[in-house]
Amino acid sequence: MILYFLTIICLLLLAPILLSFIKALKMILLFKKPISLLQGYRNFSKLMQKETIISSETSSITRYAPFLVLSPLLVTMFFLPPVVKGAFYVSFVDAFTITGLISLSTFFLMLLGLDSASAFGGMGSSREAFISALVEPAMVLTIFSISMMAGDLGIGQAGVNLAYNFPAEHMSSFLFAAISFFILLIAENGRIPVDNPETHLELTMVHEAMILDLSGVYLAIIEMAASVKFVIFSSLFVSLFIPFGLEYSPVVAILIFIAKLFGVAIAVAFVEVNMAKLRLFKIPNLLGISIVFAFLSLITFYVLGY
Amino acid sequence: MFQFDTLSIVFVLLILLGSVPNIFYSSGYLPHIERKMHYQVHYFSFILSMIGVVISANALVFLIFWELMSLTSWQLILTEIKDKTTIEAARFYFIMTHFGFLFLLLFFLIVTDGDLEIGFVNMKDIASDFAYPTLLFFFIVLGFLSKAGAVPLHVWLPYAHPAAPSPVSALMSGVMLKVAIYGLFRFLFDVLYPWPLEWGIVILVIGALSSLIGVLYALSEHDIKALLANHSIENIGIILIGFGMGMIFDSLGLKVLSSFAFIAALFHSFNHMSFKSLLFMGAGSVLHQTHTKNIEKYGGLIKSMPVTAITFLLASISISALPPTNGFLSEWMIFQSMLSSSHIDNTSLKLAIPFAVFALAMTGGLAIACFVKAYGITFLGLHRSTNAKHAHEVNFMMQVGMILMAGVVISLMLFTPFYISWFDKVLVGLGMGSIYAQIFPHGMWNLHSVGINGGVVSPVILLVSLVGLSIFMMFGYKVLNVKERVHNTWGCGYKTSAKTQYTATGFAGPIRRFFNWLYKPDEHFVKQTIAGHESKFSSSNYEVHVKPLFEKSLYHSVSRVANFISYWVYRFSHFEQTRYAAMIFNLMILVLFSYRIFAHEFSWATFVLEGVVMIISIKVLIVGDKK
Repeated sequence: MILYFLTIICLLLLAPILLSFIKALKMILLFKKPISLLQGYRNFSKLMQKETIISSETSSITRYAPFLVLSPLLVTMFFLPPVVKGAFYVSFVDAFTITGLISLSTFFLMLLGLDSASAFGGMGSSREAFISALVEPAMVLTIFSISMMAGDLGIGQAGVNLAYNFPAEHMSSFLFAAISFFILLIAENGRIPVDNPETHLELTMVHEAMILDLSGVYLAIIEMAASVKFVIFSSLFVSLFIPFGLEYSPVVAILIFIAKLFGVAIAVAFVEVNMAKLRLFKIPNLLGISIVFAFLSLITFYVLGY
Repeated sequence: MFQFDTLSIVFVLLILLGSVPNIFYSSGYLPHIERKMHYQVHYFSFILSMIGVVISANALVFLIFWELMSLTSWQLILTEIKDKTTIEAARFYFIMTHFGFLFLLLFFLIVTDGDLEIGFVNMKDIASDFAYPTLLFFFIVLGFLSKAGAVPLHVWLPYAHPAAPSPVSALMSGVMLKVAIYGLFRFLFDVLYPWPLEWGIVILVIGALSSLIGVLYALSEHDIKALLANHSIENIGIILIGFGMGMIFDSLGLKVLSSFAFIAALFHSFNHMSFKSLLFMGAGSVLHQTHTKNIEKYGGLIKSMPVTAITFLLASISISALPPTNGFLSEWMIFQSMLSSSHIDNTSLKLAIPFAVFALAMTGGLAIACFVKAYGITFLGLHRSTNAKHAHEVNFMMQVGMILMAGVVISLMLFTPFYISWFDKVLVGLGMGSIYAQIFPHGMWNLHSVGINGGVVSPVILLVSLVGLSIFMMFGYKVLNVKERVHNTWGCGYKTSAKTQYTATGFAGPIRRFFNWLYKPDEHFVKQTIAGHESKFSSSNYEVHVKPLFEKSLYHSVSRVANFISYWVYRFSHFEQTRYAAMIFNLMILVLFSYRIFAHEFSWATFVLEGVVMIISIKVLIVGDKK
């Protein structure tokens, strides 16, 4: 039980560092002076000290929605597959609950965008609604397929099963699912090529447009939600698609897990540096690839049999 | 004459849960109706006739109450005749509902052997002797699904539901559609029981199509009540997916999975009743205050109508199938029963079911987009019209109705095990095994899927943890005692106004553009340019209208053919006697020639020759000159 809470706290603490790491790595790759890994914490503490400016056009939604954006994601943190052997884990929560909780968070984020009566907020919400509507089927199919391979619909149990008996005979469907999930990881977290987290240009904003009118503590909460979401997705990717290292002693296992998380961050950074942002109406093509791979993964799994 | 088995009782419960809050709402709504007597009489006889349908025990009583239900709801649509579209909507509804009635009548005439007063149980023997059970199945499908509004018989819903007064739309959409689902349960189980595999697949395909098409047209809709009516099509589709999965599992011999899928379908019927009634009531309150159904004319109503806004938000979260609401739970059960399809041996069927999973997941994603649009444009932002500015909270009785309905939604969320135990009893009554102990093996906290290694969800724990965490954080925010300042929204240096907000059309823009091949929208873009510059204009107006594909293709072509035939009948019957004589002459030639061809001997040369003679004589004698 202690290990369970420790790993969750550890992952939460790691969340801002991972995003700063991606940013720093990108800056190194672009021959810039990189930011510190603790930049996420600095931003957070700075925002916590600032006063909150609430727009006069908004309603009570703006006051409550930021908490409702963060809390489903925090609840999801408790349902992730275990990081170390012998740790307590919630074995039974399945993919729909997790996608549902993430959608609940997105739902309130989109309402938040529409609440401030600014054109930016509506634009961001509209685009986010478009993208997340297409992400949903791909996500469900991918996790369906991987849980078929693991032999359990519960995500926690699936992670453990994959680590102990890896379905080597289903390598092809495993790889298809991994590709599909990596695209979803990029799309859901608003990274290039789907969304550019650093820009504030109205042509390209998605996530930033929705939160343009937030400040102070509310902004800090939303930023925290974004980093928690990245940790959720990357640890799901790591436990389901790079499943090894669970059998070592707790300290080593945690270190291996963190190393794998940084590995995912490096991959995302390289994708970001090497790709341009796609036009909004090209994004369905990318997500379509993800859906097709999810289908392929299921079909190869069924055709090859158990 | 009447029967009270578990299925009937559960559906009576559904009707009562749907109509008791509605009666409160309706009494608050009453002062705004001109023909009060007409409305009250039809309103209450509508509710009673629905109860009559679900408790009737023989075909005659069933058909009488069914017809009474159709006629009273038809009259209720005609309560407020303001414009021609209401009359047209009512006429359309009348035709569609009698189209369905016709097939039900055919079904009953066959399975009762002419004696309409025999009980449902006795029909089974007659039906099993009938040589074409699939014909009976299609009669049932056409009869009940035209009422339930499944694709392709859904076209009347977006017209009829908005035209009715709001309490009636809530009843029609929330409760009446479920009576059709009752009919499916009753007659597929009691009369046509051993189903071939194909029937289940037909229902599953109809369900998947309805759910996708319903939500896609809901997204492009600007009329808030038509939007909700389209969502009814979607939810009926979801119920039918559950039902179809149940039928497929049953015909493959997987009884436990089949019961699970049927329970999911029943549960979703209840959930849809609760949140759709609540949504229609909320929409009715908004409409009542702003006097417009156009979603673009709302905005900022959360400030003046808090009760409506909060109950509408609850229903929106529930219909978008977001945890931990009841809508999520039933959709979760349907998903789980589809994922259990890996137990099926038939590989081609196993490969096909992921497509239904895809349809349902896509529906979920689009429903979220649609309800963010409906809620955000209606209740958030600035007032988009003067009507919205003058809106205030509705009267007490209407609020009571909405709050009671919200209570029903919450009770379905909190007391899931109780409801599921009743649904389980329904299936036991219909001859399936009890699986309650498998759904809740360890007490009532965790809802288990019955598939091998299936998923688990714990609704109450999710709810408590979500609410607890949010309140904890809000409390933390209070403790931090953050300095707050109120200031205008940043509008790039310009003043933020209602006109710079995103519109509903704009919000759905990306999705509409992606599905352009389906929508084929009519776009009108008028721009007053200044001095010939493309980019400088003094005023511009953009409108987009989406007409349902089915209406365009299926219904209009049928009406065109009917028009064509009646035109020619008209022309033939209104001419001078010489032409009648010519027609008789031509008919005689036709009979003679056909006798020669079909009965006597056939040769291509004479066939062509006689054809030419026929055409010439018809052209010269009957058609005459073109005027």
